[in-house]
Amino acid sequence: MDFRQKRTLFTIIAYLLAIIALIATLFPIIWIFTISIKTQRDAFAMPPVWVFKPVWNNYVRIWQTAGFAKAFQNSVIVTIVGVIMALAVGIPAAYALNRLSFHGKRALTLWLLIAYMFPEFLFIIPMYVLYQRLGLYDTQLGLALVYQVFVLPFAIWLLRGFFEDVPVELEDAARIDGCSRFQTLRSIYLPLTAPGIAATAILGGIWIWNELTIALALTFDAAKTVTVAVAGFRGYASIDWGGMTAASIVSIVPMLIFAAIAQRYIVEGLTLGAVK
Amino acid sequence: MVEYWEMAIPYNHLLPMTRNRKTGRKPGVAIWYIGPALIIMGITSVYPVIYSIVMSFFNWDWGIRLDFVGIKNYVMYLTDPVFWKILGHTIYFTVGAVSVELLLGLALAIIVNRLGFGMGVIRTLLMLPLMVSGIIVALMWKILLDPTLGIVNYLLRLVSLPTSVWFGAAKTAMPSIILVDTWWQTAFVFIVLSAGLRSLPQEPFEAAEVDGASSLQAFRYLTLPMLSPILLTVLIFRTIDCLKVFAIIFGTTGGGPEIATEAMQTLAYRTAFKFLFLSRSMTLMVIFSLIILAIVLIYLRFGERTPTQ
Repeated sequence: MDFRQKRTLFTIIAYLLAIIALIATLFPIIWIFTISIKTQRDAFAMPPVWVFKPVWNNYVRIWQTAGFAKAFQNSVIVTIVGVIMALAVGIPAAYALNRLSFHGKRALTLWLLIAYMFPEFLFIIPMYVLYQRLGLYDTQLGLALVYQVFVLPFAIWLLRGFFEDVPVELEDAARIDGCSRFQTLRSIYLPLTAPGIAATAILGGIWIWNELTIALALTFDAAKTVTVAVAGFRGYASIDWGGMTAASIVSIVPMLIFAAIAQRYIVEGLTLGAVK
Repeated sequence: MVEYWEMAIPYNHLLPMTRNRKTGRKPGVAIWYIGPALIIMGITSVYPVIYSIVMSFFNWDWGIRLDFVGIKNYVMYLTDPVFWKILGHTIYFTVGAVSVELLLGLALAIIVNRLGFGMGVIRTLLMLPLMVSGIIVALMWKILLDPTLGIVNYLLRLVSLPTSVWFGAAKTAMPSIILVDTWWQTAFVFIVLSAGLRSLPQEPFEAAEVDGASSLQAFRYLTLPMLSPILLTVLIFRTIDCLKVFAIIFGTTGGGPEIATEAMQTLAYRTAFKFLFLSRSMTLMVIFSLIILAIVLIYLRFGERTPTQ
């Protein structure tokens, strides 16, 4: 076998392996989706039914019962509020970490890392106690705030990385022209790093939407998120496959749409930045 | 979809800044920029950590009883064989999941990087599990791995392979959870390492090819050493995440059968919210935080010794 044949063979093997990986990745999601549109009888059929008439009543049912619609709405609000908080607080902090000198900078950087490293329950129990006293327990605002324990360090790291790529000369020039520091942040950093900021927002949003541990402990009913609602099906795992799979699919779909839409924006942002 | 993940991979910003361009002259001005972050971090992380440490020396259980008990909680855990057993489960899960994910993710990154046509689509699709919440992943796999009605056992029977009770037995439950985590998180390793692979300079590889090096040698002596800082970062991220495992255990076995899959955080959850032993639960988390910190420090130390590039 000469070199060229060997190379072709490698490529074929690579494609085969990639296809196996794709099947292993996608089949579980597809199968769960098919269960969600099966009747109870088809869902539990053994051997499994591959061809069937789809029914959508599982979706109608979960949307109308068990507070699922409310939980979905809560998740949307908590995600939006949480991301806005992280950006509003994280952008100036990331700027300062990059371009300003102050005491305790190293300590702050280190603390951001450590906070991200520690287990959820180290924070949850004290926050549970505090929230019970302040009346923030089981509220959307309380949950969005407590999520900052992980989302804020994460946002600051990422943003700091993006800000680092902004040439310092650009800022110096603006400063000489009489811009205030805040103006340079607004009119130089924000436009230049918009794709990075979008990426940060998206990743933070996905994290919040998918979070279970904290929401489970700090919400009960009024601010219950979609992951907590889905977790509620846990006890019925052996009975209500239809409800469980439909609820799962409903909570996955927004993340997929969100990512797909945002991807376009980011690519546009990137190319714009490159042209300028 | 690919681009933003790659952009967002924080590996080059992971460690405290080395390149620090200081342009600020007035020291007072920084407080306006970091002040809000300090306040938020103060409420959400500094306060809880201090509170947890303080309360770990008490015997509070959500009632009016609040006595200082010194290190009694610590002694109780550290001398309890069940604590060590559960710590053992957590480490077993972490070592299992991280090693499988790292090997699989690296292999996938190398394979997919070889592809020409369809590479972008394949990469995007392989990333989908990362978008799914841990609790949903858990419930999905509970259905897929159902011993009698699950599709996986059905397919295994179809090709006459041995089936399993998966989450149902003490022996197979933890490997099943490792399998679930592998499906969920291998994509993270894959995405980060793919970006890493593409960022490698091409010249050394061309030189190696001219010198007649085999692809295996090129991998061993070029790819691996050049990739090692990124590998270390991925290793640290995955290890921290796995040690903190909660949702996929909560959703599949709930720590069972018996305590076969109980991990540190599911234990903390039960201790605090089922038995209301709040002080004990905080003690547990303080001990566990120190363990995580120690593991990360060992990694960083190890990373310093490893010659890079």
